[in-house]
Amino acid sequence: MSERLVPVVCPYCGVGCRLYIRSVDGYPVGIEYAKDIPNISNELGKLCPKGNAVVEYLLAKDRLKRPLKAKEQGKFVEISWSEAIKEVAERLKAYAKDDPNQLMFFGSARTFNEPNYLVQKLARMLGTNNVDHCARLCHAPTVTGLKAVFGAGAMTNTYKDIEEANVIFIIGHNYAETHPVGFRYVLKAKERGAKVIVADPRFTRTAWFADIFLQHYPGSDIALINGLIHVIIKERLYDEKFVRERCVGFDEVVAAVEKFTPEFVEKVTGVPAELIIEAARTFATAGKGVITWAMGLTQHTHGTENVKLLGTLAAICGYQGKEGAGCSPMRGQNNVQGACDMAALPNVFPGYQAVTDPEKRKFFEEFWGVELSGEVGLTTVEAAYAADKGKVKAYYVMGENPVISEANANHVMHTLEKLEFMVVQDIVPTPTMEYADIVLPAAAMLENEGSLTNTERRVQWSFQAVKPPGEARPDWWILSEVGKAIGFDKTGSGGFVYNDAADVLREINACTPQYRGITPERLKENLAGLHWPCPSEDHPGTRVLYKEKFLTPSGKANLAAVPEYKGPVEMPDEEYPFLLTTHRYVGMYHTATMTMRSCALKKRWPEPLAEIHPDDAVKLGIKSGDWVKVVTRRGAYPIKAKVTRAVKKGVIAVPWHWGANVLTNDALDPVAKIPETKACACNVAKITEEEARKLMEKLPPLIPKIEVVRG
Amino acid sequence: MARKTVFIDFSKCIECRACEVACEREHSGMSFISVFEWQEMAAMALNCRHCEKAPCVEVCPTNALYRDKDGAVLLAPQKCIGCLMCGIVCPFGIPELDLINKIMGKCDLCAHRRAEGKLPACVETCPTDALIYGDFNEIVKKRREKFTEKTIELAKTAERIPLTGV
Ligand code: SF4
Ligand code: SF4
Ligand code: SF4
Repeated sequence: MSERLVPVVCPYCGVGCRLYIRSVDGYPVGIEYAKDIPNISNELGKLCPKGNAVVEYLLAKDRLKRPLKAKEQGKFVEISWSEAIKEVAERLKAYAKDDPNQLMFFGSARTFNEPNYLVQKLARMLGTNNVDHCARLCHAPTVTGLKAVFGAGAMTNTYKDIEEANVIFIIGHNYAETHPVGFRYVLKAKERGAKVIVADPRFTRTAWFADIFLQHYPGSDIALINGLIHVIIKERLYDEKFVRERCVGFDEVVAAVEKFTPEFVEKVTGVPAELIIEAARTFATAGKGVITWAMGLTQHTHGTENVKLLGTLAAICGYQGKEGAGCSPMRGQNNVQGACDMAALPNVFPGYQAVTDPEKRKFFEEFWGVELSGEVGLTTVEAAYAADKGKVKAYYVMGENPVISEANANHVMHTLEKLEFMVVQDIVPTPTMEYADIVLPAAAMLENEGSLTNTERRVQWSFQAVKPPGEARPDWWILSEVGKAIGFDKTGSGGFVYNDAADVLREINACTPQYRGITPERLKENLAGLHWPCPSEDHPGTRVLYKEKFLTPSGKANLAAVPEYKGPVEMPDEEYPFLLTTHRYVGMYHTATMTMRSCALKKRWPEPLAEIHPDDAVKLGIKSGDWVKVVTRRGAYPIKAKVTRAVKKGVIAVPWHWGANVLTNDALDPVAKIPETKACACNVAKITEEEARKLMEKLPPLIPKIEVVRG
Repeated sequence: MARKTVFIDFSKCIECRACEVACEREHSGMSFISVFEWQEMAAMALNCRHCEKAPCVEVCPTNALYRDKDGAVLLAPQKCIGCLMCGIVCPFGIPELDLINKIMGKCDLCAHRRAEGKLPACVETCPTDALIYGDFNEIVKKRREKFTEKTIELAKTAERIPLTGV
């Protein structure tokens, strides 16, 4: 019997907490807190409930153990790895020969950097840039918006800077619930005397700690932020020196915010004018400030503009390029940042090098030894529509669950049915898998090793703690086998021959400028990891970005002027009188594939509840615990009601983990191509339990039974 | 003997329930700390106080409840007859009946972890430091110190504020 304690990174959210897995003979038996590793993101080894329950999902009874091939929808036969790889390779090759843009690849923010690098390399070597992942559905506007203002789309500071700030502005983000361990740094700042400003349509756990709480309507962010900028400019509270020396476009901002007087903003957002003035003063005069946001801000048709305005707000106050200040978008999954850095995105090569830039393309053509497409590929939602039209015929889905995660899920299911060929690579059966032709069983994160990049650009190595079940294999191994079977069997960067994940990371070091010095050897030695950019092997990594200059061509921040206020594309009307918004629970994660397989979490967060204001509830005759039906133009969803003052009148808030995306709108932000998951018009009516059960049958099952038949 | 226990600063609790999940993991599926939502918004974790004059210890007919060297109130399962007395006399209703074994269960301040020099799991995990493991007197002393520090700090800044316009 050999007992081991292996340092890993939490497989859940973007905080990237470290912990030890205790295992006996490769079988997980418990965890231990990483109290003895200095400078990690979870100080003193603290973990949230998900981190405490990591062992449970590994032991799920329905883990996928062997490759499967579909006989008909949802019915599979077991096949061998060699058969599976051969079939996948041949089918992909055939589509690529015809027209590579018939293929669509999905990377995953839930797995290591290495497989994400490989999945996009595979797509690109086959001749298409059709590769994307679920960051499209959460933080695409952060990437495009911050890139426009500062020149790069990542968090500009680290957790340490949140702790050192004097004011923290949290918008569209229930920090305490989504990233409890990250919220620790907010509380520590508050203890030091920092002020906390929270803007959210719901009175959340986070709002409870706010010094100033701005409860605005879902989708009214542009007006709110412009209102703050208006006051800061009118009262000359901005950092004149910083604006003069390091920003361009200030005059346009002044003109754009002219009409956003506190009184006007009060009308649009529902936030009292005095509170807007107070918040603006508190924020601008603090000396050091951090802005942090998440999906409440980004999942809108104007998500990019929202982010640009936040960047502008931070810049005019001089809150960039110094410690204790900056912009901190909070990533939901443990490797959203990494999957973006690795270019599981349709418009860039690794390290955000545009596919349309001939010079960059030339580099990668030489590096990978193939001709590459310079045409920007499809994003997730665009791919669904292209598949509907028959333009995209095959999906390769790694660790993703579009049936639950994409907006307008009914449309997604309709599309998946139309596909000619779909490969799903995952650790447990998902509703998406029911549409698959080939299922490839993957090892879970803790069952293999590799590097991950957390929300503060910290790259860490996670070691293999336990054995994968059955014949499940690491993601990098599966992709390398598929690559080789397609014919990319050269050694070196021109092929898919790898011995281990470290091999892949070495190739990433060679082609990704930000990761050049982040070698596997350094990461394995230094458990706290390295913050990119880390341009060489003797570089210590970078905590605060933009100390001297921004990454824009001029080196200055491009302040954004957004003179027009836009609300959600779908506003309440007579037929759909309420505004629907979605949110999440602390103990549930993503599409619940992992958390619903953990007893401790499932017991505490067993079902979704729709939050509704007492006044609305009285009008509709609803009490807490009643079954209601939420209906939008796209679908209907049965759910129990929770009457609470936490939401504004006229707003219904529903957690999304249980498949509420059948309701949401897939109207897109024109730049970032993110669907407007956070706000749409809806109707609510009381129903009986029986009706609810009937409606529920029409929803995709969260934990589907994949039937394995004989021969 | 300094008697240590787990205190909660409920102003810091975010109702994440990490403490419950951690406790449950360390005690084979039973959690001896519970987080309550209080007036919709505030939350509060409730656990055994390991009382100075513990009624549970006093009432137990078989002496199944006893104190260990750190002063924690522990339950010896082999002596427990499941009579429920301790659960009834505990002002917080802490001892619970383990439905499978028909004996009582309660917080043992993670005796197995303390033996290795570690803190109770709930304290170790709490992301906001709402749970504090320590001796009542020490904690109170620290709080007083902190309060004094803050007051002095405040007095200092007040001196610097020019009293123009007053
Ligand atoms: S905060 Fe995130 S990374 Fe940390 S333990 Fe919780 S889920 Fe894991
Ligand atoms: S772990 Fe801490 S913050 Fe979370 S519920 Fe328990 S006491 Fe509250
Ligand atoms: S079980 Fe109740 S009575 Fe006994 S020590 Fe704990 S809190 Fe006190």
